[in-house]
Amino acid sequence: MNLRVLGAVIAGSLFVMSAAAHADRLDDIKKAGVLRVAAFDSNPPFGFVDPKSNQIVGLDVDYARALATRLGVKLEIQPTNPANRIAFLKSGKVDLVFANFTITDDRKKEVDFSTPYFASGTQFIAKKGTLTSPQQLNGLRIGADKGTTNEQQVRAQFPSATIIAYDDTPFAFAALRTGNVQAITQDGPKLVALLAKVPDKANYEIPPFTISNDYEGVGVPKGETRLLNVVNDTLKDLEAKGTAGTIYDTWFGPKSAAPLPRLFRIGDPQKS
Amino acid sequence: MHLMNFWLEPRYLGWLAHGFLITLILSACVSVCATLLGFGLAMARIAQHRAVATAAKLYVLVFRNSPLLVQLLFWYFGAAMLLPSAWMTWLNTPHVLSAGPFALHWPSFELFAGWLGLTCYSTAFIAEEFRAGIRGVGIAQYQASAALGMTRYATLRHVVLPQAVRIATPPLAGQYMNIVKNSSLTMAIGVAELSYASRQVDTESFRTFQAFGTATVLYVGTVALIETALVIWQHTGVRALQRGRA
Repeated sequence: MNLRVLGAVIAGSLFVMSAAAHADRLDDIKKAGVLRVAAFDSNPPFGFVDPKSNQIVGLDVDYARALATRLGVKLEIQPTNPANRIAFLKSGKVDLVFANFTITDDRKKEVDFSTPYFASGTQFIAKKGTLTSPQQLNGLRIGADKGTTNEQQVRAQFPSATIIAYDDTPFAFAALRTGNVQAITQDGPKLVALLAKVPDKANYEIPPFTISNDYEGVGVPKGETRLLNVVNDTLKDLEAKGTAGTIYDTWFGPKSAAPLPRLFRIGDPQKS
Repeated sequence: MHLMNFWLEPRYLGWLAHGFLITLILSACVSVCATLLGFGLAMARIAQHRAVATAAKLYVLVFRNSPLLVQLLFWYFGAAMLLPSAWMTWLNTPHVLSAGPFALHWPSFELFAGWLGLTCYSTAFIAEEFRAGIRGVGIAQYQASAALGMTRYATLRHVVLPQAVRIATPPLAGQYMNIVKNSSLTMAIGVAELSYASRQVDTESFRTFQAFGTATVLYVGTVALIETALVIWQHTGVRALQRGRA
């Protein structure tokens, strides 16, 4: 009996000691009063330098700022490119990564990810009113870019669709305009960017569905459980309070330069 | 591991086979049409009517002096813009003409535009080969025919053309080889021919060497076949032609 109590006491104290030995990143952030976040500086609208203010702005930055506000600390942005994101986290140069960071199994071995706060996927552009549900794709002629995963996904999921592959997206769009194909496929954010530049964009639309999903989350250093929990709780709360939707609408809303329907909300179940 | 799987999976070989079939069909249709039209164009170029000859010359000038890729893009994207949208809808919906057990499928618009572009382009070259053949017939042949009291048409039909065709045949075979190779450019407008299929196999299987290697072998084989046909024709066909007609 006594021995068991002693064992529990020793185990408990060891646990406390180990927790104390691992300086907790969340405490460090609060003590320093600064949240250091890596974000893109040339990937609009996720993270880019605003030509007017010379500051890095974007969807990712807005989410990071909302988190910093909740923590009651200042936000410090570290510009990054896709290749540096994991290195910045692992070397401790930043506390979190908000940089359109797609959650993959390979990356999960290196860093922890928060619950997703953004999703992108294979979507379509069609003439207004012609495409409303994925089932219609089976009977359509669909333009794709040669060698993209979008082309392969459509072929795998809609075997009766006729796929015409072109050298790049503008070619595919030209084929849509002339009526050679009834829809073209690419990643949603890329389609939005393409459509924004089209002179007769009023004739086209991006139907509000995806046939595949990539999820983007906040990169958190491996093992920082308390920090990860705070990030997750804050993201869910931002969604509950409507802040997440407001941030999304700033960059992708109906009045933005690149409107993209919001198909994914924080906390939604993930589709493969 | 099975030898075929080591090279490429059956699924991918099927894609390549289908692409090869499209290449053969497209090349054959273009060769036949361009030969007929090219012959007519050559006749127009040597016509005595000034306007006809000038129009033919202009056609050759336009279609021989611009890149084939640009012409294909013009027919597929440019000309399609000019057509009424109802026509485009009709051209892009599948149509089947069935007669008993046989069903004739209307080709995809890609294939149609590819055929049109390649035919217009090749017609100019084939017409020039015919004209070169006609010019290769000596002036004495015309004079001899005239001395025999033959009309201009009879001279052309019985004296000049049999010789002209024989002279033009080797360069014509070269044009047919070009048609087979040029058909690969139609992949830019989405015709699912051999080059398109090999690129698709490459991106899905990551077997670059096997994908493009197979396509290369098939192209070389097809062109070699045309060469063989030329040699056989030169050994048998010419003699038969000489015995029979000339």
